[in-house]
Amino acid sequence: MAGRINFTASINGQQVGPLDLPEDLMMVELLQEYLNLTGTRLSCGQGVCSACAIIVDDPEGGSRTVPACITGVAWLNGKTVRTIEGIAGRDEQGDPVPSPVQQAFLDHFSFQCSYCTPGFVNAATVLVERLERAPIPVEDVEDAILKALDPHICRCTGYVRYYQAVRDVILSTPGLTIGTVAAAERPA
Amino acid sequence: MIRLLRILGLLVLIAVVAVGVLFWIGRDRGATPAASVDLANLGPDQRQQMLERGRWVARAADCAACHTDPDGGSDLAGGLPMVTPMGSVYGTNITPSTEHGIGDYSADDLYRAVAQGVAPDGRNLYPAMPYPSYHRITRADSDALWLWLMQQRPVDKPNRPDDLMFPFNIRPAIAVWNALFRPEAEPFDPQGLENPQGEYLVDVLGHCGECHTPRNLAYALTDDHLAGEVIEGAYAPDLRPDALARRGWSGEDLVAFLHRGLSPQGVMTFRMFPVLSHSTSHLSEDDLSAIADYLADGTQLPGPQQRPPGGATAMDGHALYLGLCAGCHGDNGQGQPHSSVPLDTNTTAMYRDPLNLIRIIAEGIPERDLAQGERMQAMPAFGGMLSDQQMAELVNYLRERWGGRPGDVTTGAVTSVLERNESH
Ligand code: FES
Ligand code: FES
Repeated sequence: MAGRINFTASINGQQVGPLDLPEDLMMVELLQEYLNLTGTRLSCGQGVCSACAIIVDDPEGGSRTVPACITGVAWLNGKTVRTIEGIAGRDEQGDPVPSPVQQAFLDHFSFQCSYCTPGFVNAATVLVERLERAPIPVEDVEDAILKALDPHICRCTGYVRYYQAVRDVILSTPGLTIGTVAAAERPA
Repeated sequence: MIRLLRILGLLVLIAVVAVGVLFWIGRDRGATPAASVDLANLGPDQRQQMLERGRWVARAADCAACHTDPDGGSDLAGGLPMVTPMGSVYGTNITPSTEHGIGDYSADDLYRAVAQGVAPDGRNLYPAMPYPSYHRITRADSDALWLWLMQQRPVDKPNRPDDLMFPFNIRPAIAVWNALFRPEAEPFDPQGLENPQGEYLVDVLGHCGECHTPRNLAYALTDDHLAGEVIEGAYAPDLRPDALARRGWSGEDLVAFLHRGLSPQGVMTFRMFPVLSHSTSHLSEDDLSAIADYLADGTQLPGPQQRPPGGATAMDGHALYLGLCAGCHGDNGQGQPHSSVPLDTNTTAMYRDPLNLIRIIAEGIPERDLAQGERMQAMPAFGGMLSDQQMAELVNYLRERWGGRPGDVTTGAVTSVLERNESH
């Protein structure tokens, strides 16, 4: 018989809770069933595919993605979280504007069915933000992308377009890399 | 003053003589039994039988565990580092390459290397080569192994020189070590033994004690046979009957563990995983049962025990468990078949030394094809998500809830384990 916990968190900049929740609730269920944030996808449910990746912002350790299917509210209690619903910006009218990563995925036709996309967006977003704080040499970009996207499974597109989109964002955004772009321009 | 010098001189002289005598004794490799058959004149059936036996010996003795090529391509071409407190030694090329391997070894040479730790040129092998265990190999098995090894594909890969620190890099000094610690080479004699097959597999070919038996300061095996030892950064657990019973093993579970790499008590990890793929998964059920019986030594092994949680578990550890572990291992540690091991019967939290538990949580385990179709998905590394204090809380929670151990692991102990193992 699971106990209960008193849960609060910041989710996409909004204070959530206090909520009285089963202490063994997994985050994906909180998002979908309690908060109506249905953009986070549940697929394998056992931490293998990363479709459900959400972002946890830690002011000290930086941001990271965690699989919402196997990460419990017990661990996320009190933390600052972003889900796919919190990635796009807003224009003056309050309409959503895709983030650079989201726009690049659209431009590159990176996804087909899109089931995996929220996870890819979050992983790429964390990578771009990390490079904003700590730029890396241009020649290390490909490895960094591979490492960031590697845990994510996509059954439709074969990954190349996701990969190219993220590479585009990183190389065309000033301040994310050190060195010249020319070196990295050679075909992947 | 002069008197003092004289005494000192005398002591030095005695020491030099003693070392000299030990060196002399250790240089003596002992008698080499005659070949079991006339290897130059084997009939086709006999040859075939010997080759099969040789392959069995190579597997049971797990030659590949150390002699495999980490770059792939050959199980025998060498290059795998073995990290010891004295530095690293590298598995050698034991393919029949004449330039880099053992292509010009005679069957006598192989016996001397395997059972006595002496190469054909008289060079002493480091006891990383487990000749203190192999010393009882039968000459017939050594000959079958020789025949089989000479049939394998030669790989012309040079051996990597060892990086041992002074004075361990002085090879002749091993002769002194041999005089003190190398058992006499006495071929295994099944006569009068209760379970000769089990004893031969565990103590001789399987050389289980090389990891599981505590070593003394001279790095020699002590008499606490199979009592558990920390080796290469992981704890190789106590395999004595009482310890196996306490940790809830049954004979059947031991067989399953060695056969498939998985049982309710856990999954093969660290240096035991390659043992599964190179060795134990290839052994017959009879062999594995003999091993299990020999380890049990007449003690009734009860199997997994339902034990009440060891006292009130700390709330912090409980929240960490539910938040990070329960998604796969279940609220009650029940696990999920083929993806995450049960924790309620797992033995890792039952060891007094929390080393393995801390390292597994911190480093995770890669996804693995075990054996006989059994597999496990990857366990993520949580090192970056937990402070050392949280790690201690989680480890203590697991120890108390399922390990039957006190929650006495301090944050400092976690820090030192993690620092020590950064390089692994
Ligand atoms: S749904 Fe969470 S990792 Fe697959
Ligand atoms: S776009 Fe369909 S799974 Fe990735």
